[in-house]
Amino acid sequence: MTAATSSDQWMVSTRALHKAYGPIIALDTLDLNLPRSAVGLLGANGAGKSTLIKGLLGLLRPTSGKAWVLGTDVQANAVSIRERVGYMPESDTLPMDVTAADFVGHMAEMSGLPARGARQRANDVLYQVGLDEERYRLIRGFSTGMKQRVKLAQAIVHDPELVFLDEPTNGMDPQGRDDMLNLINRIHNNLGITVILSSHILGDVERVCDYVVMLDSGRLVVSDSIETLRQGSTDILVRIDGNETTFVERLTARQIKAELSGHDILVAYESDEVYDAIRDTAVDMGVALRTLKARERSLEDVYIQTVSGIGGPVPLPVEAANVE
Amino acid sequence: MSSEQPVRTPQQPYGEVFDRGYQHYQGERLGRSYAIRALIIYSIKRGLGIKKKWTAKIIPFILYSIAYLPAIVITAIISFFPGETGLGYSSLYGFLDFVILIFAASVAPEMLCDDRRENVLPLYFSRPISRLDYLLSKISAMGILMATLVFGPALMLFAGRALTDDNPASWLVNNLDEVLRIAAYGVLLSAFYAAIGLTIATFTTRKGVASAIMIVGVIILSGFANGLYFAIDDPATNPVVFLSPFDVLDGARAWVFGTGLGGGSMAGDADLPGFSYGLVIAAIVGVAAAVMHRRYVSEE
Repeated sequence: MTAATSSDQWMVSTRALHKAYGPIIALDTLDLNLPRSAVGLLGANGAGKSTLIKGLLGLLRPTSGKAWVLGTDVQANAVSIRERVGYMPESDTLPMDVTAADFVGHMAEMSGLPARGARQRANDVLYQVGLDEERYRLIRGFSTGMKQRVKLAQAIVHDPELVFLDEPTNGMDPQGRDDMLNLINRIHNNLGITVILSSHILGDVERVCDYVVMLDSGRLVVSDSIETLRQGSTDILVRIDGNETTFVERLTARQIKAELSGHDILVAYESDEVYDAIRDTAVDMGVALRTLKARERSLEDVYIQTVSGIGGPVPLPVEAANVE
Repeated sequence: MSSEQPVRTPQQPYGEVFDRGYQHYQGERLGRSYAIRALIIYSIKRGLGIKKKWTAKIIPFILYSIAYLPAIVITAIISFFPGETGLGYSSLYGFLDFVILIFAASVAPEMLCDDRRENVLPLYFSRPISRLDYLLSKISAMGILMATLVFGPALMLFAGRALTDDNPASWLVNNLDEVLRIAAYGVLLSAFYAAIGLTIATFTTRKGVASAIMIVGVIILSGFANGLYFAIDDPATNPVVFLSPFDVLDGARAWVFGTGLGGGSMAGDADLPGFSYGLVIAAIVGVAAAVMHRRYVSEE
């Protein structure tokens, strides 16, 4: 089966996609197959998320490799792909002396919608993003959150099959961020538009997406569903009345992986027999088990474990750390 | 006045509830060519200050008024004094050249500066157009706006002369070549100032700066070239005339309309072949196209 044919079943597919700016490698021979679901692109600043999105939109020429979006070759048919996808850039990209309705309508026309339909769609979409009342105001007077909504509206005004959202919660306060994430959830779940969300905030991706791609310095670290990643290895949290260090040593002697985190003992779940071993160790030591519960691996755990495995973790904020 | 009040029966609804839930777009999609057309129209409106605050409309309005007024006046003079008045297209363009310089200097930055200053380009380039499409749309919009000022007054004068003639039909047949001359010089004039204006606008995001550089630059360069030419006063330095934008246009105008140049001007004194001015304008347009291509199409 050829790469082009196999790419048809995927929303996005890349083969050895590589982008270098002189000695700096922005994307390092990426091989990706992304399903048609809400996908999170996760990575620290400079990990290559925005470069990947621009490459998939055909805005950047890759140094080598191929990419397909919605089954279409990006390099050969970038213009036709851009009729079917939307893009919300990270940076401030709005004209100031235009009303939201005029600008979003103009962007609809730029996607090929006839003037009348474009105006109608602009009004509908601005209503959907919560800017119904403000649509005839100049963008100059909008707050950061409202501008983000206008950017989102222009990205979906032509009813795309797929929308790329590059750091959509950037610069927003906690309430605005919460609203924006709810809106993105709605776009995906209610409006049926597939979303690729780029973020360096773990919480955003965890809340909106069901598939995650982790990048680190342009390299692919993880590409899997969040559910699978969480199931990968559940920890068991144990708290005891007694000497925790001895408890960990006894478990290790039973060939069970355990480590101490403060007063918490984290035991790697491999089978139900681990629970028996914990119980037996407590009985042997004559200590009481105060806590014994499964602890689901968070995206943060996955990120730290996977990225530290290839050269040290880069801290990512779980919550919005860049609140203005 | 009737005192009857409309009576609402129980069957008539007091109001209606509209479902404004999201609906997918089912209408037609007109693709790339329509997007290009939309960008051209939008840019023309921006250039004329349409859908902008009223102050943005002042300069275009004044310039259009100034440009069309001489054509009306010359037509009126010709109709009152049907003999040879010495007034024609060359006289009209001699006046219009400066107005068109101001117009180009105010419109060209509108085409390019705002989109770069406000970082709107990523939104345009994520649409079904290429970078080249964007640039050509902006050039087209500029060209259309320039055409309204460059051709309009001259064609008005042409029509006025035809209508004031005793036999308009035969006058039209005998003077059709004038339309070609108007078209030829109009293209040269538009291309010359549009190329300079758009090129300057690719290097700055500030509209005022771009306008000022263009107007002041053209005036200073013309003055400098004149000073240099008459100071050296050597036939070997005649090509200095090509450094003066006003004299390049004077030379091109005399060449296209077949009129002479006054001996007092640098272009008249230099007595260079008429086509050389056309070549200089073509070269400037070529350099401008290469610069704009590099700034917009080649950059990633």
